[in-house]
Formats: sequence, C-alpha cells, structure tokens
Amino acid sequence: MAILEKVDKLHRVIAWPGDMPITGRYTAGIAGEKFFRTIKDEARILGTRCEACGLTYVPATMFCERCFAELDEWVEVESHGTVFTYTVLHRDLDEARLDPPAILAYVKLDGSDGGLVHYLGETDPQAVHIGMAVEAVFKDAAERQGSILDIAYFRPVAG
Amino acid sequence: MTQKIEKFPGVYLRESDFREGRVIFNEWKPNAQYAWDAGVAIGRYLAELKEGRLIGVHCRGCRRTVIPPRNFCEWCFRPMDDWVTLPDTGTVNTFSLCYVTWDMQYLDVPEISAVIDIDGTMPPVGIMHMLGDVDPDAVRIGMRVQAVWKPAEEREGSILDIKYFRPMTNDK
Repeated sequence: MAILEKVDKLHRVIAWPGDMPITGRYTAGIAGEKFFRTIKDEARILGTRCEACGLTYVPATMFCERCFAELDEWVEVESHGTVFTYTVLHRDLDEARLDPPAILAYVKLDGSDGGLVHYLGETDPQAVHIGMAVEAVFKDAAERQGSILDIAYFRPVAG
Repeated sequence: MTQKIEKFPGVYLRESDFREGRVIFNEWKPNAQYAWDAGVAIGRYLAELKEGRLIGVHCRGCRRTVIPPRNFCEWCFRPMDDWVTLPDTGTVNTFSLCYVTWDMQYLDVPEISAVIDIDGTMPPVGIMHMLGDVDPDAVRIGMRVQAVWKPAEEREGSILDIKYFRPMTNDK
C-alpha cells in the first residue's frame, strides 16, 4: 500500500522554473588587448614573431607554442590571404534558415603562419574554393569596437 | 600560503577600467533557464501548500511520520505507506537571529530563521522557516508556534506560501 501506487492526480505543481542570471566577462588578455586595439584604432592586423622557430603567430600570442619563449616582437601582417578551409552554413545556431547561406572560412593571412576564422561576404557560395584569395573589409572607424567583428568580412580579391 | 604572496602576477583591473573603455572584453549572458522537476513526493507537498495545508508521509514499518514527504523510508528502505495531513503548528527546535542578509546587507531588526518541529510528526521532525510577529529577544527553544499563510490567491505552491510562523495565540 505504498504512496507510489496511489498517484491518482497530476499535481499542479510539477516543476519549479528558474533561471541563473549570470553575466560572464572575458578580457582579451595582454596580447589580445594590443591585437584588438590595433584593429580598432588603426585597422591593421598584428602578429607576434618567434625568431627561433621562424613563426609569426596570428592572432598574436604572448608565447611561442613550439618553444614556449615569451614573444615581444610585434609585426604587422597583411590583411589579405587565402581561404584555407571553409563551411557554407544553411542554418543558424537556433536552426533557423539562413538565406542567403553564410560562409565561414579560416583565412590564412599573407605574411604570417596564422590566420583568422571569419565570414566571407560579397561571395557566391558556389564560387568559394580552398586557395581563394580574399581581403579583409574593415568597418568604419566609428563603428569599430576592438572586436574581431571590426572586420566585417573577407571578400574575394578582385581580378 | 597566500599570505606570502604580496602581489599576484598579472594585470590588476578595476570596474572603472571596464566602464571607461580601457580594457577590451566580451560580455556573455547565457540563457540558463531550467525547470526542476519536483517529483511525486515534493510535487504533492507543494500542491498541498498551495491549498494551505501541510502534508507528511507515514511508514507503517517504522511507525514514523515525517515531513517533507518522500517516496521511500530512509530507515527501512520500504516505500512510504500513507499521506498524512498535518496541523500547521509546531515547536521551535532551534533558531538563529540573522543580522545580515544573504547578500551582505546589515539589518537593525534581525530576520529569524528557525527549525520548527511540526505537530503530528513522530519522532518530531522539523522544517526550516522564518519566525515573525515576535520580539527577537523572546524567542525560545520549545516555543509553540503556528503558521501564518498567504491568502489563497497569492499562494503558488511554494514553502513561502507560509509567510512565517508566529507564537501561538493560546500558548500555554
């Protein structure tokens, strides 16, 4: 004669809803601060150089991933490069249709050993290919906030 | 260990650095909503609170009545046998005078949290709640108290449907 056998009505209080109001703050870090400030103030992309390994890191890092040396040599890298890999997105994070589809690409920047993941704009999804030459399109100075989105997108290099 | 470190490595930041744009940062507010399933036993407990009643459960093997309800007797591991409607009166088992709120605000008049052994539970079992309508200096272990309920239209199926417990008016 357990109470479990006598569940004869659904309780009106079945679930207790709530939410966890959390705000997270993520700072760019020491290298990130300089990297994004330069994008914001000067529309230039910087990398850090490890002379011993012969590598230029983009985004700029504080230390070399190969030899762990602290990097303090900052160099400007080109804001154009080539598509290393890409994905054409037909749905957004909430499964809504994206029309036209968005194109995300890892753009390997000329003059560096790194690159940036970003959107491709002014681009026909059918025409994207690995190795496609693209250039960054920066937003106007007034709109730049020190974010990766200060670059609006990368577009194919004309000609 | 930390007393030996005078200054931690890193860059010290203040709120004003963020507000005045000296630091580049991302702000992220996750949509962290949840619905916690009350379950059979607590679901009924909350539903009864909404009706203005306290309810417990009884184990015939242990001859024990407890509140809040649970599906299984934790002494003998058998399913609980019966639902028992309990009076909304009890005895103060222990209490605290809290001069600080959970978010560090100081209070002149303390909030009084207490464990109140509910009449009808055997052996006496308490629930946590607040005491009100009472002089903090007059609270005693063993004090007889009764629940003060919210009006029916304000009750929502929560332990807070009881506003607080106050000294019984016909106290012996």
